[in-house]
Amino acid sequence: MLRHCTIAELLDLRDGEGSAVARAHVDECDACRAELDRLHQRVAVLKALPSFTPPRDRWPVVRDTLAQARRRSRWQRAGGAALAAAAALALMIGIPGVRGSGPDAAIAQEVDELKQESHQLEQVLHEVERERRVVNGRVLVVIVGLEDRIAVIDAGIATVQTGGHVTVELRDLWEERVILVNQLVVTHVQQTAYVGH
Amino acid sequence: MADITLAALDDLAIHRAKSGDLAALERVYRAYEGTVYTLARRICRSPEDAEEVMQETFLEVCRSFKKFRGTGPGSLTAWIKRIASSKALIRIRYEKYRQTEEFLEDSGWAGRLDGDTGLQMDLEAALNQLSETSRAVVWLHDVEGFTHEEIAEQMSKTVSFSKSQLSRAHARLRKMLGEEAQC
Repeated sequence: MLRHCTIAELLDLRDGEGSAVARAHVDECDACRAELDRLHQRVAVLKALPSFTPPRDRWPVVRDTLAQARRRSRWQRAGGAALAAAAALALMIGIPGVRGSGPDAAIAQEVDELKQESHQLEQVLHEVERERRVVNGRVLVVIVGLEDRIAVIDAGIATVQTGGHVTVELRDLWEERVILVNQLVVTHVQQTAYVGH
Repeated sequence: MADITLAALDDLAIHRAKSGDLAALERVYRAYEGTVYTLARRICRSPEDAEEVMQETFLEVCRSFKKFRGTGPGSLTAWIKRIASSKALIRIRYEKYRQTEEFLEDSGWAGRLDGDTGLQMDLEAALNQLSETSRAVVWLHDVEGFTHEEIAEQMSKTVSFSKSQLSRAHARLRKMLGEEAQC
């Protein structure tokens, strides 16, 4: 090999993939050997760079998001099980198409709880918004997006409620609303923390 | 950082985390938050993005822990790093589309440095001058130990792309550090 090695060839050699010709050249060429040593040294320095410490603890956000997802999943399972049980009962006692008061009552209770949770989150949101000082463009896009989605959900809730019945659809809408308002609170809190940081 | 805390993360904790135990998942979080955040900081453009990547990573780790097939902390480290790098690469790809006017393209930096021979820079500062893609490849390959095949898969690119990004990045680092090429 008459010419010197390229960086690509030296990197291949470093990774144990280089050609025999390149290897033989490096063995004989001081300049290429020095370059290969510098590559090794550079990577050693890179590996020795200090670690970063996260500025804030994100575990509470992760934990709360997981808990919310689990609760949602539990509700869906419980709702499904309750409806299945009601259907089985209706079959047993020979009442076709009956929607028992049990499942309805359970759904109504869930809706009440969700309304309460939503209300509490709105209060937190109100407090956080008062403390907010600056919102950067990217966060603003997220906030506006979430607010738009909440507005759509609210319109959906209003439509479903006109029927006067507490339905699974209404519960799902409230669930979605709680999740979105929670995301809105988290976004505001994070933004406030960044500004204050 | 993970190595220090991994001793506390035994097989039992991993088993409990797989069953969704929140206390065990928090231990996993505590053991790896520094590792994940450092990886994200090295790849992402801002500390804020790195924090977002860290949060997204742990949400996915916690949600899909049941799918984790390994048993020991070693394989857990590799699994979590793979998720973290994937999230970070998605983030820089998104940022690249969103803020193209601010993005430091490779060619721009090479041009600026041409007339600045003998410039001595700290390696960390030099690393930050690379484009996000180049920096990601250098960090994932040279520091985290990802293969070019793994990087190519995560970036939806070819192995040649990963290799060429790495050699171009090293050429630039050499230049920025003021190391004269002998060959």
